[in-house]
This record gives sequence, structure tokens and C-alpha cells, in this order.
Amino acid sequence: MKNFKRTLGRIPLKLYLFLGAALLISFFYNDFGLVDIQKTAVILAVGVDRAEETFSVTAQIAVPKGNDRTTGGTSAVEIEGKGKTISDCIEQIYYKTGWVPKFVFCNLILLGESLVREDVFCALDFFLRNEYMPDSSLIAACEGSAKELLSSASAIDDAASLALEKLFSDAAKNAGTVMKTTLREFAVGYYGADESGYMPYVHALDQASGTDGSAQETAEGGKQNVAQTEKIYSAAQTALFSKGKMVALLSSEETFLYALLENNVSTGSFTAKQGEEARSFTVLREKGKVRLNIDGFPSVSLTLRVVLRTNDRASASPVGDITEGILSREELDKAERTLTDLFSSLWEKSVLGGCDLFRLNRTLYRSSPEKYREWNKTLLFALQPDFSVQAESVN
Amino acid sequence: MNRISARQLFFFLACIAPVGKLVLMPAQLVHDVGNDLLFPAAINCLLQSGAVFCVLTLVRSQKSFYTLVAERAGRAAAKIILALLMLFLFYAAIMPILEQSLLVQNIFYDTLPSVLTFAPFFLFSLFLCAKPLSCRGRLWDLLGPLAIVAFVGVLAFSVGQADFGALLPAGISGVGSIFKGAARSLGWFCDSAILLVLLGKLEYRKGIALRGMLFYLLGGAAVLLFLAVFYGVFSDIALRQIFAFTKISKYFSGITVLGRIDFLFIYLLAFVMAFYCSLPLHACVECANLLFGDGKVKTPLYSAAVNAVMFSLTVLLNLSFLRTGEVILYKLFWIFLLFCLLLPVLSVFLRRTPHEKF
Repeated sequence: MKNFKRTLGRIPLKLYLFLGAALLISFFYNDFGLVDIQKTAVILAVGVDRAEETFSVTAQIAVPKGNDRTTGGTSAVEIEGKGKTISDCIEQIYYKTGWVPKFVFCNLILLGESLVREDVFCALDFFLRNEYMPDSSLIAACEGSAKELLSSASAIDDAASLALEKLFSDAAKNAGTVMKTTLREFAVGYYGADESGYMPYVHALDQASGTDGSAQETAEGGKQNVAQTEKIYSAAQTALFSKGKMVALLSSEETFLYALLENNVSTGSFTAKQGEEARSFTVLREKGKVRLNIDGFPSVSLTLRVVLRTNDRASASPVGDITEGILSREELDKAERTLTDLFSSLWEKSVLGGCDLFRLNRTLYRSSPEKYREWNKTLLFALQPDFSVQAESVN
Repeated sequence: MNRISARQLFFFLACIAPVGKLVLMPAQLVHDVGNDLLFPAAINCLLQSGAVFCVLTLVRSQKSFYTLVAERAGRAAAKIILALLMLFLFYAAIMPILEQSLLVQNIFYDTLPSVLTFAPFFLFSLFLCAKPLSCRGRLWDLLGPLAIVAFVGVLAFSVGQADFGALLPAGISGVGSIFKGAARSLGWFCDSAILLVLLGKLEYRKGIALRGMLFYLLGGAAVLLFLAVFYGVFSDIALRQIFAFTKISKYFSGITVLGRIDFLFIYLLAFVMAFYCSLPLHACVECANLLFGDGKVKTPLYSAAVNAVMFSLTVLLNLSFLRTGEVILYKLFWIFLLFCLLLPVLSVFLRRTPHEKF
């Protein structure tokens, strides 16, 4: 009996040791799902195109330095995968390269022109489901093919995606030159009562560069210099979406006004033209307000208050004027007229496209679900907007 | 004998108990009631704080739950009730531990790792559960401030992105759905059942019941604030955002420059959670101690047995999480109703002097 008790007394320590050893062995007898960095494709950006029922995904993958393609910074290669689903395409990229695609660092999803004609969530569904894809990544539409744009040689950075991300900086947003959006924000709009959204529309511009050619191997094994057209990019236009489809395109000026109404601008500038004369103004302070009134027949009033300073008179001015930058009433009227005209075209484009740019359906739903059910299909078309702008000069 | 002081208990009620409700409960509530997620959570917080009050009125007697029941209803009844409570606590531990294991696998790894990745938790839990339950008091002293720092950090990073208007229109899901949502989220409010096991180990202080209730309500208010920010950030896609507390802070504008510094707070919260989700197992071992006797040999054996079974369950249910949640939280929600509300409220009748001050 004593022996039994002694044996029993030893059990806990042995049990601990045994269980501890078993767990530690089993714990370290696996690779924790970690993948060798050499076998990993760190995806910087993806471009998605569509040709009828087939998707094409171009992944811009960061590759280790020392590669011939670059002498410094981040070098990247573009690999394309095609398939019936985005997942299919990603699998193809894996088969082609042997690299495990990792989305953790993917900061940009670029949607080609062919894709945005249909509901883009047929492609975005994959990214929204993927637990490893950050939904804080930026999303943009582009002119032409996303593959071509991502594969183009940037004049300002090593990879096109890195150059594009510069366009979407906070400084650009504060200047009102871009209306950037993330996957999360776009998805919230799509699944919300407004079923609408926007994203920057990117297009590439040639940057003349005949001398800076890269060496390319010929079939005979020799090398020859090939002139490469480098690109610069613009994201000043904004694509409007309704139910996931692109329905309109805002010009850079309309984009600026939209940014003002969304209270995004802190140091932007715009130009007012009248006849031969042109004046540029800096927005020092702004307050945009959208108010939906649902008492009786619905109406919407949009008000914008801006404090301006002269930025450029495009003519020689007295030094005192340059120093103070005070605007005359005439100039303020001109600025107000310019903004009002821009608003008319902005409103028209969004309504014709069915894009609820100011989230009026959402406001209606939040204040009265009954009226929302009654009006949600016709609200945008029935509303007569009352837009008022009040420009003040810095003094 | 070491006892848990009132301060330590209040730390648990206000700071540690809310932490367990930040993982899957927010998305679960959105699934049931959409933008009305605050209502079922508030109902449960209020009911649970009442239950906490009832249990804490028994602290003055300085007797264990088993002794109190035995004095009133006899030892046989006490043993049956304690055995049922033990089984319940084991049952109540399944969801939090499964949650924690999924969290570790999905958030802390960038590919889906082996289920064994979570195995060391059970080694830690085995050690912890073999210790006297009163050792939790000192842990709460340490974990309470950590939980506050982590919670405030996560909220500070995310509140700027929240659109609180998304919570409107209030009550759109209907009263029926709200109560259904409350019933289905009862599984995250087991704190009063755990307090039953702590009876006899809590140091009495005048007004402990009332203050305990108020501290629990304070923790509940923190949970409600978190839920409001969570829905404000994700709005119509909140349902998709499981592991809520790891998701809401990543949209902070500074993150693009500084990197995921919010992970400091997320890791801190996960650390506190690891202690919290082993607590029902610890309480379960304590019940076994009261039922079958304790000792240097027996307690570690109970701990090993409880953790081994839970480890096996975690491996088995790892890929059936949704189904498991459906059974435990939806179909068998009444079990939580019995043990987390009815039993604690009825326990008030175990008091000898009904008119004593709390």
C-alpha cells in the first residue's frame, strides 16, 4: 500500500514530464505553416482583367535585390494567371513560379476597364473572403488593361504599383486631387443601402525617354538596347459605381468638388476661368454639408463654405497683393460660379449613372426605414438638389 | 489560506471578464440582429450583473457553494448540483477555447498552421488549473491593468474610423430578434457561474455585492462601447469580421507609416484572454476538488484529465467550429440560461440572514 501511494505520489511529476514532452515534440514537429521566404511571392499589387468568362490576374511580386532588372530600391516582376475564378488565377501563378503567393503586403488592387463594366464583386469576392488579404488595401480602376498598366515601366519608381501608391498618399487626398478608397470602404458602400461607391481612375501617360533603354537578349544570344517608353500616372479622375458597375467618370475638377463636399480637402487649389482670364485659388478652410430633408416630399440641400486665397492671377500683380492674396467680391463670385457649375455636372453624372454619391439612400434608411422602402428606387431621380456655395476671402 | 481580495475581484469583473467577449461575439450579434447588436449585449450585461449581485451576497458567509447547498438541502443534493456545475463549466469552456485556438491560427500566422500550434496552451492551462483557484486573485491584479491598456489602445486606434450613424435605425430588427440574439449570445456571459465556485475564496468587504455589480456593469459598458465602434467601422460588412478586436484598429492612418503597431495591444489582449478562457476549466477542476477531494496528487490529475479531454475536443472540432457554435449557442442555449442566470439568482436563497446588508 505504501509503495502504491509512493508510486501515486510520483505520478504528477512524471505525468507533467510525459505530457510536456509529448506536447513539445508535437509542437515542434511541424513547420507552423511558415513558408521559406525564398519560396514566397510577396505580392505588392494585383491587377484584374476580364475577357468574357475568363479572369486574368497580374500579380506584381517583389523580388530580392541584386536582380538585373534594377540597381536599387524594390525590384518587381509581373506574373499573370488566367482562370474562371480569381482563385484559379492565383493557383496558376503558384504553379508557374513555385512561389507561394502572399497577400499580406498587397496594398493595391487595380481593376481593368474590361472588369468594371460588370459587377466588380465577381472579382473582389475573393479578396474580401481571403483572411490574409488586408481589406485596408487601396482599390482603383484603370484605363485599358490592368496588366499593361502594372507591367509598364514607371518613370518615377522601380515598380508601377509603388508609383501608383504615391498618387494615393494622404497629401494627395488632402489636396483634393484624388478620392482614394479601400476595399473595406468600397465593400461597405456596395453592401449598404446606397449600393454605390467610387474609386480613383488611373491612366498612364507617356514620358518621353528614348535614351534610357534597357538591354534585352535577342534570339541569337546577343544583347541590344531597346528604347522603353516610361510612364507616369494620373489618378485625378474618379470612377463612380452603382451596384458594383462603373457608371460614370468624374473629371479632375469634379473630383475636387466632390472632395470638398466630403470635407477631405485641407490645402487644395482650383482654377476659375471666365473668358480669357483665369484665376487659381487656394482653399484654406472648407465645410461641406449634405442634408436630406424627408418631411413631406424629400429634398436635398448641399452647402459648401470655403475660405480662399489667391494662388495665381496669371499676370503681374502688385507686391502687396502677392503678399496678402485677398480676393475681391468679383473674384469670389467667379469662384462660386465655377463651383456651382461643377456641382451641376457632378450631380447630373451621378444621377444618370444611378450612383448615390452622397449616400442619400443610406441617410434615408437610417432616419426612416419605412420611407426608404417607399422611395429607395426613385429617390435620386426625384430629388431637386439645392446647392449653395459661400466663398470668403482670407483677410 | 489565500483569499481573493475585493480589489482583485473587481479587476476581474470590470477588466478581465469583458475581454472574452471581444472575439466572436460581435460578429455573432451582427448575424442575429444586424445594427441592433448593442441591445442583446446590454440585456445580457444587465441580467448577468444581477446574477453577479445575487452570488456576491453570499460572500459574507465565507462558505463554499458546496457547503451552503449542503447546509440547506443536504450533502447528496449539494453533490449533485456541484457535479452538474462542474460539467457545465467544462461545457462552457469549449467555445472560448475554440475561439482562442482559431484566433491564434488565423491571426498570428499568415498561412493556416497545424492544429498543434495551439497545443502549448493546454500545457499552460494544465499548470494553471493544478494551482489553487485563489491564485487567480494575484493574476487578476497583474492582468487587470494590462487589459485596460490594451483595450484603450485598440479603441484609440479605431474610434476615429467609426461611423456611429451605422447603428441607426435602432430597433429595426424587432424585439423578438433582439431577445433571440440575447439568448444566443448567453454563452459569453458565464461569469456568475464561475463566481459560484469562487464562493468561500473571496474576502468579504462591506458592500461587495453592490460594488461587484457596478464593476460588472462598468465592464459591460466597455463591451458596449467596443461593439459600437466595431459596427461603426465595419457597418454592413461587420458580419464578415470575426476576431473583431484584431480587425478594428488596422485602419488607423498612422499604421501606413508605423506598421501594425496595434498588434502590441492585440497581443496584450490575447495574453489576457489566454488566462480568461482557462478560467472555466480551472473552476471545473475546483468543483472536482470539492466533489472528490483534493491533494497533491489528485488536483494535478483532475487538471490533466480536464485539459486532455479539452485538447482532444479542440483537435476534433477545429474544422467544425460553425456547427459546434450552432449546437452550443443556438440549440442548447437554455443550458446557459439555467447555470448562468437561474442558478446564480436562486442561490440568493442560500443566505441565512435575508436582511443583512450587502
